[in-house]
Amino acid sequence: MNRKKDKGFESPRPFKLTHQVVCINNINFQRKSVIGYVELTIFPTVVNLNRIKLNSKQCRIYRVRVNELEAPFIYNDPTLEVCHHESKQRNLNYFSSAYTAAVSAVDPDAGHGELVIKVPSELWKQGDDLKVLKVYIEFSLDQPKGGLHFVVPDVEGSMAERGAHVFSFGYQNSTRFWFPCVDSYSELCTWKLEFTVDASMVAVSCGDLVETIYTHDMRKKTFHYVLPIPTAAPNISLAVGPFEILVDPYMHEVTHFCLPQLLPLLKHSMSYLHEIFEFYEEILTCRYPYSCFKTVFVDEAYVQVSSYASMSIFSTNLLHSAMIIDQTPQTRRCLAQALAQQFFGCFISRMSWADEWVLKGISGYIYGLYLKKTFGVNEYRHWIKGELDKIVDYELKMGGVLLHPTFSGGKEKDNPTPHLHFSIKHPHTLSWEYYKMFQCKAHLVMRLIENRISMEFMLQVFNKLLSLASTASSQKYQSHMWSQMLLSTHAFLKSISNVSGKDIGPLIKQWVDQSGVVKFFGSFAFNRKRNVLELEIRQDYTSSGTQKYVGPIKVTVQELDGSFNHTLQIEENSLKHDIPCHSKSRRNKKKKIPLMNGEEVDMDLSAMDADSPLLWIRIDPDMSILRKVEFEQADFMWQYQLRYERDVVAQEEAISALEKFPTPASRLALTDILEQEQCFYKVRMQACFCLARIANAMVSTWQGPPAMKSLFTRMFCCKSCPNIVKTNNFINFQSYFLQKTMPVAMALLRDVQNLCPKDVLNFILDLIKYNDNRKNKFSDNYYRAELIEALTNSLTPAISINNEVRTVDNLNADVRLILEEITRFLNMEKLLPSFRNTITVSCLRAIRQLQKNGHIPSDPSLFKSYAQYGHFVDVRIAALEALVDYTRVERSATELQWLLVMVQNDPAHYVRHKILGMLCKNPPFTKTTDSALCNEALVDQLWKLMNSGTSHDWRLRCDAVNLYYTLFGLTRPSCLPLPELGLVLNLKEKKAVLNPTIKPELGVRIFTCPHSTQLRPAPPFNTMEDEDIDMETVHDSQAFIHHHLNLLERPSTPGKYSLQLWLFSGKEPPSVEQTMLTMPSTPAPSFSKETTSLSSKHSSEHSHHHHHHHHEHKKKKKKHKHKHKHKHKHESKDKEKERERDNSHVYSNSPASGRSLRSPSLSD
Amino acid sequence: MADPAVSSGGSLTAGARGGSSKAASSPAENYHLARRRTLQVAVSALLTECGFESAEKAAVETLTEMMQSYITEIGRCAKAYCEHTARSIPTLPDTVVALIEMGFNVDTLPVYAKRSQRMVITAPPVTNSPVTPKALSAGQKRTHPAHIPSHFPEFPDPHTYIKTPTFREPVSDYQVVREKAATQRRDVERALTRFMAKTGETQSLFKDDITAFPLIAARPSTIPYLSALLPSELELQTLEETDSSEQDDQTDSENTTGNIINDDPGADKENSMLPPSGGVPSTKASEDNVIDNPYLRPVKKPKVRRKK
Repeated sequence: MNRKKDKGFESPRPFKLTHQVVCINNINFQRKSVIGYVELTIFPTVVNLNRIKLNSKQCRIYRVRVNELEAPFIYNDPTLEVCHHESKQRNLNYFSSAYTAAVSAVDPDAGHGELVIKVPSELWKQGDDLKVLKVYIEFSLDQPKGGLHFVVPDVEGSMAERGAHVFSFGYQNSTRFWFPCVDSYSELCTWKLEFTVDASMVAVSCGDLVETIYTHDMRKKTFHYVLPIPTAAPNISLAVGPFEILVDPYMHEVTHFCLPQLLPLLKHSMSYLHEIFEFYEEILTCRYPYSCFKTVFVDEAYVQVSSYASMSIFSTNLLHSAMIIDQTPQTRRCLAQALAQQFFGCFISRMSWADEWVLKGISGYIYGLYLKKTFGVNEYRHWIKGELDKIVDYELKMGGVLLHPTFSGGKEKDNPTPHLHFSIKHPHTLSWEYYKMFQCKAHLVMRLIENRISMEFMLQVFNKLLSLASTASSQKYQSHMWSQMLLSTHAFLKSISNVSGKDIGPLIKQWVDQSGVVKFFGSFAFNRKRNVLELEIRQDYTSSGTQKYVGPIKVTVQELDGSFNHTLQIEENSLKHDIPCHSKSRRNKKKKIPLMNGEEVDMDLSAMDADSPLLWIRIDPDMSILRKVEFEQADFMWQYQLRYERDVVAQEEAISALEKFPTPASRLALTDILEQEQCFYKVRMQACFCLARIANAMVSTWQGPPAMKSLFTRMFCCKSCPNIVKTNNFINFQSYFLQKTMPVAMALLRDVQNLCPKDVLNFILDLIKYNDNRKNKFSDNYYRAELIEALTNSLTPAISINNEVRTVDNLNADVRLILEEITRFLNMEKLLPSFRNTITVSCLRAIRQLQKNGHIPSDPSLFKSYAQYGHFVDVRIAALEALVDYTRVERSATELQWLLVMVQNDPAHYVRHKILGMLCKNPPFTKTTDSALCNEALVDQLWKLMNSGTSHDWRLRCDAVNLYYTLFGLTRPSCLPLPELGLVLNLKEKKAVLNPTIKPELGVRIFTCPHSTQLRPAPPFNTMEDEDIDMETVHDSQAFIHHHLNLLERPSTPGKYSLQLWLFSGKEPPSVEQTMLTMPSTPAPSFSKETTSLSSKHSSEHSHHHHHHHHEHKKKKKKHKHKHKHKHKHESKDKEKERERDNSHVYSNSPASGRSLRSPSLSD
Repeated sequence: MADPAVSSGGSLTAGARGGSSKAASSPAENYHLARRRTLQVAVSALLTECGFESAEKAAVETLTEMMQSYITEIGRCAKAYCEHTARSIPTLPDTVVALIEMGFNVDTLPVYAKRSQRMVITAPPVTNSPVTPKALSAGQKRTHPAHIPSHFPEFPDPHTYIKTPTFREPVSDYQVVREKAATQRRDVERALTRFMAKTGETQSLFKDDITAFPLIAARPSTIPYLSALLPSELELQTLEETDSSEQDDQTDSENTTGNIINDDPGADKENSMLPPSGGVPSTKASEDNVIDNPYLRPVKKPKVRRKK
């Protein structure tokens, strides 16, 4: 553990940034381009600072000046193309390690960057007086694919009239996509931000708006922002558009912005923000750290909520009117999340990636406190249970989630998470789902800490961290206090121990330093003689994603005489625990039974075991362990637990358990819960579905009308005519949610023929028919959408006769009725669209279900039209989901292609991300199944997608990696032909000839370096023979990367591996010089990278050789090695260049790849 | 289905119309026709007197019409004069005054009457003056109450002044109303969507019969979020209606909107302490000039750069 080390913050850079100016003086919506400059004020921390590494992606850099002197620079981005283009490698292990290496190579947290600026020698020869340097960089962005998103609706009118806007976005530190900076959360500085925009637009950015000034022609205005609080570049954002402005009526320093026409919605949606502010400020006993706050609602948002220093960017779809019920809590939650992150995440930033969990944990935790206060304890506990279930399911399925990874010595072999197909070393290599689970676990662990040290101490710790940071933030840079605003795991833990005086080391070790969750199995027996409960708790700690738990566990036993808590000690070898019971069984005495909360209730005890005083038993009722519990107790105990335990978590657990007991008693318990209005509505909703399942299991013995029908009639239908539902009145939200859910659950009922009972279907059709919302003050769009879902649920597979073609004539009569409704709903939606088009979404799902069940012909064209850009995003996602499903069911290569094309071209980043996510969830085939879809072209296409096609969006690239993993697994995809030998070796004659089967344009790659900078000549073949390097195995590729990295870390000697080219800015002729610089690199698209990587590969081989890293066990693979080495010595350099140019055109318009064009070195 | 009262009324008027178009058959019409005929004979005689040998039918008709109008006017005028003097039957002087008023020289009348070439017209055939058909009596006529003298006119038929239900009792049965509303709405919706589908582009779920279950084609819009987020006018309208009718519930819901589930007893108190949303704009309005928000400040003019 290197936690001791990170006690103080040590910058990985030889300089310290103190202030940065960002000036964007032109934003062209027509061309989607941006022009501007940045100026960084830096203090060198070493003598002779000769180069400055900054982060910059996709920016075209025109000139760099350091203290008014032109400075040469290199721009190299190895993440553009992770593995070089011609590589025939197709295994994911190889890719993942190369990708990790590429990200590491430009990682700002390690002091690296894509942009390397050479400080003019005049400046560093000045000797040891460490002077301030001002680095001035002019740049432009043309049609950015990441970082900034332009939304330009294609209508008539000026840009402002069209509602065109642009905003910054990104996953983690992605600011480098839109201006050059030190893109690290740990490099804080003050900011001056200037944006010149059209006079009809507003530029919203971080910090205080100091003034707005017209330009001389009065057509534009410049917004001047100043952010005096030291802030990391990733927390800087921008939104420009013709926004409507709303000053918060309660807090005048808070301003809200929305797109034209949405102001009424904005007013309503923001009307409670002040409550959230008050809440956080109160619990943290700390004022909101920034002097102002801005919320901006934009279209085509990357994520629903993103927080930046003093502002948050939200999806415009969170806005709603007062008529909408369902969206209201969701929007409030999003606001609360955004605000929590303002304190922890924006104001207090993380020291390193390994400390991310602390910030995510704290912001998630205080957000939870807000939920508890606003939505109530039941909602809060329900949420915690949901989050716990999510993380447990994920870890058990995918393997552990590690909150605080440590990389001792940087050895890849010490990979703490070998079960994952990606590296967790960088946020940018992380799968999105993993990151979501990571955040979920982080806040759960914070809750565990709270359980341990009490909430009071917890809040004191937060307060302490905030006050430290806020003292530091007001200091000048020279005081060296700014690092107090960075939070590390160590500092956090130290603060906890200082405040609480408690040692939470074991807890941290268990949940933070270690991955995995605990899986308990519990069962019990009651020993009547000893009046003792013999509880057995076993653990599974061998499966993936599990860990062993040793320590205390709380068990709550409800007996006849009351509820009793016992704390048991889970130890290495003890499985059985004896718990003495307090009460003798005595069921004859009629007495009220005291519950945990002090309430005393009458119970009908006839169901229970006469010999035992036990009503129910709960293991770890407070969820103070990240665990899954499978507990066995009798059905009547679950029923008692459901009816009488007041904790919603217990009730929900009981409901899930009762599914296994389809008996009249379970039915009764569930029905009682359903009717009980004091019961939490989400429990009642869950009971609906359980009841449906129980009814299906009891179908042969079921008595009376279909489950829930009479209940629904009693609750929601007219007294005089029970077949007609009352006119809608959703004023009581609990019953509204129940009214929505019951039909959906009822539609799951099946009769003996496994069909949905006729009277249930008619009942639902009647609900639709008699639905009357005229007197309601709330919209019924969600309710109607649920009724359509109910219709969908009622569908069962059509009886098919030899795959006959589905025609209108042979349509089942019931299905015809359903289809009539869906047609009418879908058509009405065109005339009177519902909020968020919920009805269209439900209809599309219903149609897909009709197709899937063989009632109507399976046809993707309808979904394709709804998936087009220009429909509301929810509709698009629903249509795409149907298409993904179609692709899987019909194994359609065309649709898969169509989807993949959309992944590459769609303007909305969220949609692209979603498509890949859905393809992963519902894959057309998997690594374990055979499919005609799995072919070489698809492998190549996906490889290209993750290798270079998604370089502008970290999240998307990781999605592509996930899909590749789902489809092909970690190793070489099975559908590929056996690896061809690039060369046919004739060992006897010691001659090598080109394998004629290899296509020249793929295989061509000059190995010999055209430059004399190559240190080691290619070893002769016969010596290579002895080495067992197979790049396709995990081990070797990792070793290769690792070694590669080591090489980079070494002080390089002039002209060692790479040719360097210093591009001079402006019109000056570029010149070549050999420098001391070694570009940290991995296989990269450009020519120079190519040679670098290949040469280093050689060195890696050598090092293996020398270090006796032999791999005897791979001898048999000997033949396949060196596949793409030494292939073609004879190709001309010119051809090489040509291809290079082609490559660069394919995937990037960045100057980084275009560099080779201008490179004089290549023509040398 | 059709209201019997209405339909019978309809057929009645239709019958009357049909009767008039046929040859005169009713006694009243016969009477009028005979008088007209006599008038026509008189006109013809006058024409002959003046020396005409023949006349077009249309000309005769016109003259007859003029004559009739003239006589009618004399009668009306004379009647008016007589009534002016509070009498009910006109006397000769009334007629004379009427003639004078109409610009007729009365002195010439005796001479004209005694002219030699005067043609004698046969007396018109005696026809019975038409009997006014007896009004359909509906109900008992009311007798005069005590305070009204008996010589006053009788009350008219009761149906002329009291409501006569000619339609069926409106259906107030809840079930039927709901049924009807639902059917009606569904019919309207179906007709509307069918119409839209017929007149525009459609998509179909079936390949064999593209007219079955036609779906209005999905058309991408340029700004999709607007229609998806903004409530439709219809919804706004209903909201206004319910708002005005359910003023009392308003404050209720205002409080509950935020807290869908409120297990926290403190939350209610919290809410009640909040100023009602109605109060916000007013406070805002009053403070509008006080709000110092940088985004509300006026944009500054560029500084004029002083050269040199």
